[in-house]
Amino acid sequence: MTSATGPAAMSSASTRAPSRRASLGQRIWTQRADYLYVLPALVVMLIVIAYPVYYTIELSFFKTPTSLQLKDKIFVGLENYTTILTSGSFWQVTWQTLIWTFFSTLFAFLLGLGAALALHGEFVGRGVLRALLLIPWVVSAVAASYVWKWLYHSDFGAIGALLVQLGLTDQPINFIDNRSTALASLIVVNVWKEFSFAMIMLMAGLQTVPEQLLRAARVDGASPWQRFWHVTFPHLAGVSTVTVLLLTVQNFNSFIIPWIMTGGGPAGASDIWITQIYQLAFGRQRWGVAAAYSVLLFLIMMVLGYFYVRALTRGDDARAGA
Amino acid sequence: MAQVVLKDVVKNYGSVYAVNHVSLTVNDGEFVALVGPSGCGKTTTLNLIAGLIPISDGTIVIGEREVTRLDPKDRDIAMVFQNYALYPNKTVFNNLAFPLQMRKQPRETIEEKVKAAAKVLDITHLLERKPRELSGGQQQRVALGRALVRDPAVFLMDEPLSNLDAKLRVQMRSEIKRFHHNLNATVVYVTHDQLEAVTMADKMAVMNGGFLQQYDTPAQVFANPVNTFVASFVGSPAMSLIPLQVVTHGTDVALQSAEGWELPLSPENARKALSAKGKDVVLGARHSTLKLHKAPHPGAVPGRVYTVEPTGDVTFAQVFIAEAVVNISVEPTVMLDPDEQVWIEFDQSRLHLFDGETTMALSAR
Ligand SMILES: Nc1ncnc2c1ncn2[C@@H]1O[C@H](COP(=O)(O)OP(=O)(O)OP(=O)(O)O)[C@@H](O)[C@H]1O
Ligand SMILES: [Mg+2]
Repeated sequence: MTSATGPAAMSSASTRAPSRRASLGQRIWTQRADYLYVLPALVVMLIVIAYPVYYTIELSFFKTPTSLQLKDKIFVGLENYTTILTSGSFWQVTWQTLIWTFFSTLFAFLLGLGAALALHGEFVGRGVLRALLLIPWVVSAVAASYVWKWLYHSDFGAIGALLVQLGLTDQPINFIDNRSTALASLIVVNVWKEFSFAMIMLMAGLQTVPEQLLRAARVDGASPWQRFWHVTFPHLAGVSTVTVLLLTVQNFNSFIIPWIMTGGGPAGASDIWITQIYQLAFGRQRWGVAAAYSVLLFLIMMVLGYFYVRALTRGDDARAGA
Repeated sequence: MAQVVLKDVVKNYGSVYAVNHVSLTVNDGEFVALVGPSGCGKTTTLNLIAGLIPISDGTIVIGEREVTRLDPKDRDIAMVFQNYALYPNKTVFNNLAFPLQMRKQPRETIEEKVKAAAKVLDITHLLERKPRELSGGQQQRVALGRALVRDPAVFLMDEPLSNLDAKLRVQMRSEIKRFHHNLNATVVYVTHDQLEAVTMADKMAVMNGGFLQQYDTPAQVFANPVNTFVASFVGSPAMSLIPLQVVTHGTDVALQSAEGWELPLSPENARKALSAKGKDVVLGARHSTLKLHKAPHPGAVPGRVYTVEPTGDVTFAQVFIAEAVVNISVEPTVMLDPDEQVWIEFDQSRLHLFDGETTMALSAR
């Protein structure tokens, strides 16, 4: 805790509870045992998280020509940031990242919701179906990416062959080697991979919908759809928010599927932020620019993280306030 | 408003019979309380009337229509649930409006009816609040209001007061009673609190183990319980039951305890006792009909004080008589000690006799 936040925290605490006049230092001292318990975890976090974050931020202000060693980097101020923001590809990649994140999240959520609702009722084979629908989530992303790459393959792919057989196309479609279909094809794989996560979350949420509310709605004359809309869905609002935020963060950060399946290609058509950063850093050794990119990504993640924590704790606040 | 008729209604889950051949008629405008211990099938019966669970057998008529297979929304009923079941994300206004919106009523009508219901229940100032911003009593009123707006043929209420504290319960009790009176509504009211039933209902239906035990006015159920179950369920403290044996000495009939004392019976009670299937008879008596003596008294039987509970106005004593626990009320001035020997006098005109085998009340015929 720095000295700057100390008084601020104090004053807000004292306006709410005048009785708690003890200084921050005193309060930490009285709770020293608690701090001691979290200390080991804190130290580990500092080493594995805080230091890399700090180093990335530092690096983002330096140039690292390949002719020099990394330790001889040259300070360039904000040049890396201006380079990124003024490059044409940045806006294209950002646009693609937004499309990727938005549609992956949207369809994974909707599909997960549909699956959760379908699995909520009692029917024969429900357990088996649930297990089947969970497979995408438990399969390794790397393995899944290779499998889908083959499914999409223009010459040997099963999907292309199926479409030809059904008479929908004359020739197998070039799904991932085509600028106009690459990103969409990746989104399909991504949705397939993660909709079961949304399904699990929403299934858990569905089990907590109070039976009496649904009964009340039935007596009040609501149709099944109206019961869903007026009772079930509002009840799922909290878990839906959390699910959507988690999916958004995850999709914004996805790497395995796009990297393995297209590597961002063809010609950058399926590049997203992460693949771009990876290429800049490990492909072209432009560490400074990659670091600056990472810092921007970090800031966006912080904003999403803020909303995530707020969504998670909102219920607690309401309960504590009541 | 309308009558409700249950005919041979059965609900079973496999071999578990939650409701077992229950038949009863709730007349138009009547307030009927369904009472019984936990798990006796009260909620199930109510849900069957509402149509919330499929019926196994029997028929249900509401008004002039048979509704046995109809959807809840087509039965013209409104229901108040135990934990109110208010829609948490809707304001009080929208909670009240919901049943009307679902029935596609015009906006102005809805507004008018909601305002009217809110006024009756004195919740007009709460209309813009969310349920979680209300107290238990206010939520209860909103739940009543949601049932009220639609002007249904029958009100079904499942333990609507059980989540309230004792004081509020008494207050809401009289409010519901007045509400019933003003609307002249047909009400089926589930409660496990027999006092609620006695104080509110025109008739009470006592259930046990899925069976309807007795269906009559509270006064009748109180005065003439049909079996030992009803006798011990209605009244607070409950009627005391003492298992005894019938003995005859010529024309005189008495009840004999295992300890050997005998209680001579009046001619009418003697005829009742003799109509029992066997020798086993259960003697029932309410606390207020018993007289406690500190010294031996003609016609009184011996007992031993177990506990003494002064409540201010009266003192309740529990006394062991022939190994049964008997409740007696005495003047607060009477001092009793645990294990003290006392003598109990029965009022022959107000005691009850039940068949020891069948548990049914015995009649003189
Ligand atoms: N879905 C079900 N499956 C199996 N048994 C059930 C089911 N619902 C209720 N029962 C059984 O039916 C019986 C009656 O239940 P019901 O809920 O009507 O009791 P109740 O009289 O309302 O009790 P309480 O006062 O505790 O609410 C109970 O023995 C219960 O276990
Ligand atoms: Mg119940």
